[in-house]
Amino acid sequence: MAISTADTAPVTTAPAPATQAPPPRWRSREALTAWLFILPSLIGFLIFTAGPVVAAGVISLLNWNLFSAPTWAGLHNFARLGPDPTFWSALGSTAYFTLVSVPLTILVSLLLALLLNQGVKRIAVFRSLLLLPYATITVAVAFVWIWLYIPHDGLVNAVLGWFGINGPAWLISDNWAMPALILMSVWKSFGFGMVVFLAGLQAIPQQLYEAGRVDGTSPWNSFRHITLPMLSPALFFVIVTSVIGSFQVFDQALIMTNGGPGTRTTTLVMYIYRTGFENYDQGYAAAQSLVLFAFIVLITAGQFLFQRRLVHYDN
Amino acid sequence: MSRTMSTNLTRRSVLQLGGLAGIAFAAGCSSGPPAGTATWAMWSSSAAEKKVWEDFGKYVEQQLGVKSVATLTPSSGYPTKLDLQLVSGTASLVTALNGTLIPTYAARGAHRSLDDLIAADPDFKLDDFYETSRKISGFNGKTYAIGFDVAPTVMYYNKDLLKKQGIPLPSRTEPMSWATFRDLAKQLTKPGEQYGFTCAPAIDDLVSWIYCAGGNVMSADASRSALGDPEAMEALQFVIDLFVKDKVTPPIKNLVTESSLSNFMQGNVAFMQNGPWQVVNARKAKFDWDIIPFPAGANGSTPRVSGSSFAIPSGVREGAQLDLAWKLLKTLTSTGALDIYAKAGRNNPARLSAGSAFQPPPDNLGIVQDILAGKIAGGHAFDVTTNWNQVKQLLGQDLPRTFLGQVSVPDAISGLTPRLDVLMRQHLDTTRQAAARKG
Repeated sequence: MAISTADTAPVTTAPAPATQAPPPRWRSREALTAWLFILPSLIGFLIFTAGPVVAAGVISLLNWNLFSAPTWAGLHNFARLGPDPTFWSALGSTAYFTLVSVPLTILVSLLLALLLNQGVKRIAVFRSLLLLPYATITVAVAFVWIWLYIPHDGLVNAVLGWFGINGPAWLISDNWAMPALILMSVWKSFGFGMVVFLAGLQAIPQQLYEAGRVDGTSPWNSFRHITLPMLSPALFFVIVTSVIGSFQVFDQALIMTNGGPGTRTTTLVMYIYRTGFENYDQGYAAAQSLVLFAFIVLITAGQFLFQRRLVHYDN
Repeated sequence: MSRTMSTNLTRRSVLQLGGLAGIAFAAGCSSGPPAGTATWAMWSSSAAEKKVWEDFGKYVEQQLGVKSVATLTPSSGYPTKLDLQLVSGTASLVTALNGTLIPTYAARGAHRSLDDLIAADPDFKLDDFYETSRKISGFNGKTYAIGFDVAPTVMYYNKDLLKKQGIPLPSRTEPMSWATFRDLAKQLTKPGEQYGFTCAPAIDDLVSWIYCAGGNVMSADASRSALGDPEAMEALQFVIDLFVKDKVTPPIKNLVTESSLSNFMQGNVAFMQNGPWQVVNARKAKFDWDIIPFPAGANGSTPRVSGSSFAIPSGVREGAQLDLAWKLLKTLTSTGALDIYAKAGRNNPARLSAGSAFQPPPDNLGIVQDILAGKIAGGHAFDVTTNWNQVKQLLGQDLPRTFLGQVSVPDAISGLTPRLDVLMRQHLDTTRQAAARKG
């Protein structure tokens, strides 16, 4: 039986003085304590997130090369986006990366989580091992994968060679450079989703499966009608964070291909960085950042709209 | 009672801790070397390099009698860090600049012209610096930096490999022709085992061949791209053929990490195009090697000459701060300091009077100064624009694909030219604006 604070609170019979109205909710002791706890995080958010977003909005309306005094540009920087082929190519590459890497990462994460959830002994060891790629810094991982992808002596092509497949020159191939980056990114990031899914799976009440078994439900139907709906909040969380992360892909592309060959793997964030800090065109870089921000907001808002129909919470 | 006390104490402690943290944060934010400190910024990517700059620091302290504080940053991150320091007003009194970026910084007003300081200082002799170094350190007819190193691109060769093949060693002073070089490279290639030549698949190395053919990246007035001109096309096709048609180069495994030095150090590559700044690394080779002048094209042996310099940011205030900055810059580029640099084998010093400190090995190292002095072969200052990063970026997108045989040279150049022309026009605008701002 749950005990609420109302059950234990002393009964007060004397009416409160008419002149002393209770303080507004936001001034109550609990509210102030809550604000105090939130404050450090809030200050950090305002300084390091909200502030730069507002600053980017202002800078996007300026011509500014970092060193000279900025001049007013109005919406010119946004107008420049239309005829800029590199911007659209970078946007296309980023979308390609997101559309392929996110479903793949989620699939691998979910499969591994389901596997680990089958009463595996020493689950903590496996979980830690599988989480290692996620915990390793991307720069180190990227350099290892550069070696794996070496056309003639690399491990990836050596393994393909065992099956009679002549592997491509991954990172310098027009067609294979992006898939190579995606493969590496999936390997690097599946651990995060796996841990979230595993936690979600372990929170599903076993009675639901037992009830299903009594009704003669097949394993597939059990997965489809019990696991997936019960896991949907975790799935939704992983999809949202993965999509946002994929739109911001930068370091692995910079290290492994530097955006090439041509502009095949030039992502939007890489192009923004180059525009702002190598070409000293801060206004244009800020305009690109805002467009990327708008894309991410729109996509995330769309996902939240869909979740009303597809995500099942306990309540 | 005790509970209240303990609560009060805890609150007080929290407040005290908060206050202390605030003071520490404020102190941290305002920390920096005290006024009168000789601060300078430089790139440094190895322990050996760091040691040289530490010795520079000691030399500065000895000469100026003030504390020297050097901000050392790995070379790949140096420009970004410098930009942020310049913008935030926290840059050092003197900052090192790669020659290719001097017009970029000068045109944007990030660094000040040194002409007034040079004119007011009879002790400072600009004539003691190689002419090419002075050219690299200037923009729009003004001096913006003082060089500390300068060198032409040369050809390294593996003596053991040539001797093993029974091939006579090339002349130490007379540049060989491109045709001879190509024949030698083919002769020395055994596919999958041994290669005739290696260079970086990038514009930085291609320009040497372009200059030797009499071409350039941009027209003389920098108003348009000149890569499509016959001379430049001939050079580009020659180099690409070495990679794609003759296959005398080690296969390219990755465009980002491809390194001519690491190819050469394997010991199975006969010739490497590189600058004398790699002598210090090549000394670790387990085979006998030397350097010779760059092969001569239609325009002779006139490879890229590049260098680096020290400059003073525009943010340095007139008066005592500027006086110290100028003294520091003079000390960092003095014969004494450049002797330290050259003796460590880092590169050829930009001062003629410090030249004797850049000593063999390899045996033929002396040609570096002979080339700069115009006694043998020749050189061409690296011509760059005020938006060189953008030009390099654009060329870095499509040119490497020609090395892979994915795109032909004419197709790559015709695709690049309109975009390069736009960048050239932007460069001219920036140059005009810079001239107007000063004038």
